[in-house]
Amino acid sequence: MDRGVIGVSLAMILGLTISLMAVAGPQGAQAADIVKIGVMAPTTGPWATEGQDMVKVIEILTEKVNSSGSLKGSAVRLVIGDDGGNPKTAALAAQRLVTSGVLAVVGTYGSAVTEASQDIYDEAGVVQVATGSTSIRLSEKGLKRFFRTCPRDDEQGRVLAAKVKSLGFTRPAIVHDNTSYARGLADETRDILRKAGQKEVYFDAINPGERDFAVVLSKIKAKDPDVIIFTGYYPEAALILRQKAGLGWNVPIIGGDATNNRSLVELAGQAAAAGYYFVSPPGPGDMKSAAAQDFFKVYEGKNGGLPSSVWSVLAGDAFSVIMDAVINGAEDSAAVATYLHNTLKDYPGLSGAISFNEKGDRVGEVYRLYRVDDKGQFVLQN
Amino acid sequence: MSPDCPEPSDRKVPKDSPESKAPFSPSSARAKAKGPIALAIGCLVFLLAPFILAGLKIQATPYILDLLSMVGLYALLALSLNVILGLGGMFHMGHAAFFAMGAYVTANLNLTYGWPILATLPAAALAAGLMALIVAFPVIHLRGDYLLIVTIGIVEIVKIALTNDIFGLTGGPNGLIGISRPTLFGYRLSRPQDFFYLIWIMVALTVILFHWLENSRFGRALKYIKEDAVAAEGMGVNATAYKLMAFVIGAAWAGMAGTIFASKMRTISPDSFTFGESVVMFTIVILGGSGNQKGVILGAFLVICLPELFRDFQDMRLLAYGAALVAMMIFRPQGLWPPKAVQYNLPSPYKEKYPREGSC
Amino acid sequence: MAHFVEQIIYGLTVGSVYALIALGYTMVYGVMKLINFAHGELFTLGAFVGFFFLVTLDWGGVFGPALAIGLTIVMVSGSTALAGHLLERVAYRPLRHSDRLAAVVSALGASIFLQNVIMVVWGAQYRAYSASLLPQVIWRVAGQSFPLIRLFVFLTAILVMAGLYLFINHTRLGLAIRAAAIDQGAAKLMGVDVRKVIAVVFIIGPALGGLAGLLVGVYYGQINFNMGQLYGLKAFTAAVIGGIGNIPGAMVGGLLLGLLETLGDAYVSGAWKDAIAFVALILILVFRPTGILRERVAEKL
Repeated sequence: MDRGVIGVSLAMILGLTISLMAVAGPQGAQAADIVKIGVMAPTTGPWATEGQDMVKVIEILTEKVNSSGSLKGSAVRLVIGDDGGNPKTAALAAQRLVTSGVLAVVGTYGSAVTEASQDIYDEAGVVQVATGSTSIRLSEKGLKRFFRTCPRDDEQGRVLAAKVKSLGFTRPAIVHDNTSYARGLADETRDILRKAGQKEVYFDAINPGERDFAVVLSKIKAKDPDVIIFTGYYPEAALILRQKAGLGWNVPIIGGDATNNRSLVELAGQAAAAGYYFVSPPGPGDMKSAAAQDFFKVYEGKNGGLPSSVWSVLAGDAFSVIMDAVINGAEDSAAVATYLHNTLKDYPGLSGAISFNEKGDRVGEVYRLYRVDDKGQFVLQN
Repeated sequence: MSPDCPEPSDRKVPKDSPESKAPFSPSSARAKAKGPIALAIGCLVFLLAPFILAGLKIQATPYILDLLSMVGLYALLALSLNVILGLGGMFHMGHAAFFAMGAYVTANLNLTYGWPILATLPAAALAAGLMALIVAFPVIHLRGDYLLIVTIGIVEIVKIALTNDIFGLTGGPNGLIGISRPTLFGYRLSRPQDFFYLIWIMVALTVILFHWLENSRFGRALKYIKEDAVAAEGMGVNATAYKLMAFVIGAAWAGMAGTIFASKMRTISPDSFTFGESVVMFTIVILGGSGNQKGVILGAFLVICLPELFRDFQDMRLLAYGAALVAMMIFRPQGLWPPKAVQYNLPSPYKEKYPREGSC
Repeated sequence: MAHFVEQIIYGLTVGSVYALIALGYTMVYGVMKLINFAHGELFTLGAFVGFFFLVTLDWGGVFGPALAIGLTIVMVSGSTALAGHLLERVAYRPLRHSDRLAAVVSALGASIFLQNVIMVVWGAQYRAYSASLLPQVIWRVAGQSFPLIRLFVFLTAILVMAGLYLFINHTRLGLAIRAAAIDQGAAKLMGVDVRKVIAVVFIIGPALGGLAGLLVGVYYGQINFNMGQLYGLKAFTAAVIGGIGNIPGAMVGGLLLGLLETLGDAYVSGAWKDAIAFVALILILVFRPTGILRERVAEKL
């Protein structure tokens, strides 16, 4: 019996290893005319919506590149790595993408998740273009092949604080949700406001995933703020809006770019969402260039609606800038990185003109102020 | 007495037990010898995996080695949990708390005081063990499921504390970054194969040490307590002390696993130490065969590799994994590789009287 | 003072949802000594089935709000009961005579499976119940505003629990459930059909969990595929605080946990409130090792 068990388990381990090799993609001689691009995205886990949208956007762009013939006979193939929205899964996904021989990787959404993968790409010399990871320190490590198409939290904090001021609010209450992103943005905004002499009247966290924020609201209400700054994500923003309306309290709320999601209005209800402000890069509906209009037509035709947020569009842009480098002759990761750093200027992406600075951050002002109107539309303010 | 009771020839004779010197030694030396040989060959092949994979020019080698390192890390964690859960019979679903303790102690000592990683190993073990002593002391007497929920509570509290940057030591939700890689005799371990060896050598040492522990007086006492706490107390075994000791040893080992994890990932954040991680460790032990080290290691292979294998299913990945877990438990309720029941050689008249005595 | 009363009301609403879910954990545990980790997913399923009828099929528009909610309650409890029954048949029945921890892992596997089935069927995005389903009446007392609907949530939960209590204590089947909870073997000898009892428990528990899901969907207006994780964990905690296996215990535990959370949030810190609740849980268990209302099952050593 002992022998049997050992035999069976050895066979199992062997089987696992062999199938892992199979999963990791074909080995040995690679067809020279295949360009592999990795996509690291949370297709399962709490941010599965974002991840699945990212993949959908990039797949459409891939088809377009492949059918356009701009690669002169070669073709792009995507290798998708699910990071599960979790650092540990991301580290494995990154290693798998690296070993499947990708030229560059697009992704990912969460900052902590991107962080866990950065070293792996860096050591392998693979270009990484993050798409939704706005945490400041990601680009402060001096990594030569790290880029991102999304802006940074300090930029967002600056804009958020400026908008709070220009809207004439003086007694802000700041609420975050203790995630890496929301906490960072909350700290940033608070510091800038304090420097400007506007001390917040309230600063605390809520727990993401929870449904009942009545206590938080009643606590905030007792401090009598003239605006609530919420730096978390759209599901909680919707609940707060809805429950605030349920209390019959009409203090304005202003949020960050993680609330720029079309579901927000649906989840909060139109009446409750009306008057909500947020700062964000322009959403899919406000990308007016001809290329963007064409793209969204195709996307809508395929998926029955626009991408739910701007982040998946930024993933598309990340893919496009890499492709631009390849089309212009970059054959390896080093060349792609050099191209993105030095040559690429004002690439016409879906989300606007794209250039990168020496840190790999996207340059240019991208944040805009939005307000939700009575019909539930996101209206660009100025 | 269940049908899958092992054959009498399988009986295991603990080396340091007086019975092994008895004249009634097992007759089936032939069957006994082959198992370990097969196992040894298997281990050898496994340890050479980096060379074999590289020799075959398999492109995915770093990925496979990283995955195997991850398996090794979880094997380490699960082996340490096995001391508490498998040997001690304590339902402990909060092991990630001690894992986190080790990782954060290492990160702090390394980042603030510049300790080399391997020097922080004992500190991580000590801190995690001490923490286990403090939190387990008041609750160790709780039985079964009540202990389970308390340990879940502990891991939740630890995660909240980490997220809220307790004492300014944890970096809040961002965690800590820039942890060094370990150096050994001046060599900096950084490649996947380096970690593969570091981790699996630790696993091997752990297996040897825990095997010895299992068959020591301590291990026998724990098994007795697990089978029948009242009888054990009656025989003068201090159940609380032994359980506490098992808890502390298991936690200290998880702390060391935390050290390795921190230096491998180089960045740690509360996301890596959730209740879900504890559940993964728990699943490995039960699925593999609670109480049997070989089973636990097999469990680590399955639980860590299956979701990776199902990667091609994309969003169906975890669905398949969940179904596989249920199926495996239904077909092997004792775990894939359960421990053999301990059988001691008894004098033959006794044996004739009770031919198949033994607890299965 | 009014502020304090307000917090109490919030705590009771949150807690009554926990209690409703906790009942499912406690009933299953009482009879089978099994922690049904997939119960949180049955709760999610209830929310999504309700979504299907109320939003996708728009029963509110077809039948009018009152009838629609009535019919949806029937459909939700029916389908979660069916799912619970299937779960028991497939994942737990084969393990009834095995080690208890095997069933725990099977339950964990089933939980992962169900959660991802829901994700594949309904998608990963958050889904919205229509906000206009329930009237938004606000009640003003002494300068504080109380949404009337909170009272409705609380009363619904209390009503369901009272019904269950009567059922368990005053019917033959309830008697059988209690008997099986104390000693399955003895109950069998006394002519109780234990298999049937288990089946019934696995119908009532999930149905209550599903109803809680519907309640959360209708009241908070937003559901998603992994909402059961957090609610499941909280409800399980509530069941243990009250004394797992004990039906009034689940109610007491649920309400107490809701109060602990809200008061912790209101008077200490939002970021630490779950830690406060768990510390309280540990303290309760240290001083009352089997929960507030003692578990009414034979001591099993």
